[in-house]
Amino acid sequence: MSPIHDQSYRRYQGARHAVGGAWGVIAWSGIRAMLAKRAYVFLLIFSWVPFIVNAVRIYLVTNFPQAGSFLGVNPQMFRSFLDSQGVFVFFMTIWAGAGLIANDRRANALQIYLSKPLLRAEYVGGKLAVLLAFLLTVTLVPGLLLLLLQVAFSGSFDFLGKNLYLIPSIILGSLVQVIVASTTMLALSSLSKSSRYAALLYTGAIFFTDAVFNALRLINGSTRMAWVSITANMAQVTDVIFRQPARYETPWLVSLLVLVALVVLSISVLERRVRGVEVVS
Amino acid sequence: MTPASVPARPAKAPGFLYASLRVFDLSVGEMLWSRRTIFMALVVGVPVLIALLVRGASALGAPGLHVNNTAVDGPAIFGLMIWAFYLRFSVPVLGAFYGTSLIADEVEDKTITYLFTRPVSRGAVLFGKFLAYVLCTMIVVLPSITVVWLLVTPLGGSLGQNFPDLIKDLLILAAGLVVYGAVFAFIGATFKRPLLISLVFVFGFEPAVLVFPGYLKRFTLAYYLQGLVPQAMPNDSVVSLVQRIFRETPALSTAVIALTAITVVCLWLAARTVSNKEYVLEQ
Repeated sequence: MSPIHDQSYRRYQGARHAVGGAWGVIAWSGIRAMLAKRAYVFLLIFSWVPFIVNAVRIYLVTNFPQAGSFLGVNPQMFRSFLDSQGVFVFFMTIWAGAGLIANDRRANALQIYLSKPLLRAEYVGGKLAVLLAFLLTVTLVPGLLLLLLQVAFSGSFDFLGKNLYLIPSIILGSLVQVIVASTTMLALSSLSKSSRYAALLYTGAIFFTDAVFNALRLINGSTRMAWVSITANMAQVTDVIFRQPARYETPWLVSLLVLVALVVLSISVLERRVRGVEVVS
Repeated sequence: MTPASVPARPAKAPGFLYASLRVFDLSVGEMLWSRRTIFMALVVGVPVLIALLVRGASALGAPGLHVNNTAVDGPAIFGLMIWAFYLRFSVPVLGAFYGTSLIADEVEDKTITYLFTRPVSRGAVLFGKFLAYVLCTMIVVLPSITVVWLLVTPLGGSLGQNFPDLIKDLLILAAGLVVYGAVFAFIGATFKRPLLISLVFVFGFEPAVLVFPGYLKRFTLAYYLQGLVPQAMPNDSVVSLVQRIFRETPALSTAVIALTAITVVCLWLAARTVSNKEYVLEQ
């Protein structure tokens, strides 16, 4: 006689987790998936080359004072370092971010995700965390490490004491760069089922707005229209954060407003596009 | 033996050119009436909008345009727009997107099997799609340039006098679409992440190499294309300034031969890759 299994309703006997922590699972799985790609890890390592160059520069200036005359270590150097990381931020954002939501939409995985005890905010937060983790690794972490290296190589806190504002500047400057890139990429990724199309839209958003600004600058003969370019807005706001003279004539508050509007628009797009059920009218 | 029992002679497979034209016919409609055309329209529509604004401002009596305290006329503005919008952005980006999509789209949509089971060579599939890409981009990009020229050039310039420059620009940009498309078709057929590689090439390798003196710039497409543009390169950034300093202009014959050779070799390599490669569709 074969046993008859009870197929009636049974209570869930697994562990219950409080709502709000599931984003970590999504983030961790995304980070692991990217770290499994050798080429991506290579890009990650390559993006630290400017850090090494600047570290050598700090070493030379602190150990050979005569080098200081042509290799100055000053707040401007830390600002320029963040600027130089822009190209890596762009490529890493495209590589890691273009498929984050687009691939889930393509595989109809959104419905599966959101049928679990998972909030939409957690899903978006998890995906955002993947991008933030990688982008902060190439902006915030090396930026702060450079500051630490300056203290270590010079053996004094003089520079840091005189420029204490550099710590919040590096943190804020990196966050501006990273948050704008991540939210924009994620929003564009949610608009399409093709990661290539999402990548292209992001490229357009970055380079095309810059091309428009450059054309207007040449036609106008002024940089008052810098607010049309995402890159120029980020540069303008970061200059102010680093207490450097703003490079464009657009008021930095306008640039900041444009960036905030872009982030709000991206969140709004995500709110509309990340849904478990798509209602077709 | 009855006629019914005679084994049917297998129909002759269509030739390469005929097969390419059939694929071209099929692909043109797909490419033109897709969502990505919106992107293309935006890319070529914004320069037209800016040209309209410039023209409108001029019609409303706005003071003449100045760059670095020097008055600029319509043809100069047209030159700036050719560089800023078309040569540095639209042509490479459209080439990268469409070129890499020729095969990758079919693989992603899992429809490549249907194409490859037809009695046409795989090379013809790629070539037909490439022809469709060339036509689609040209019928959108080239009219946009002409409209910008018509709007901007009369501001202090003569249409008749500047017409030869327009023709040169149209030819150069058409050549750019063809050669970038061919290179990226090869990249699309060969690599797993073709768009990223293409963007690295367009926005990383080419601008970086062009600022260095020496022979390395001959491995870029921009060297052959930008050298032919009749308008001067604008000084809109430090990179442009350095590029201007180290700028070399290849002879017309050198540029034409190099661009033709790159196109033919890349298309041949792409067709060869598509013919030999086994595309594994994701489940």
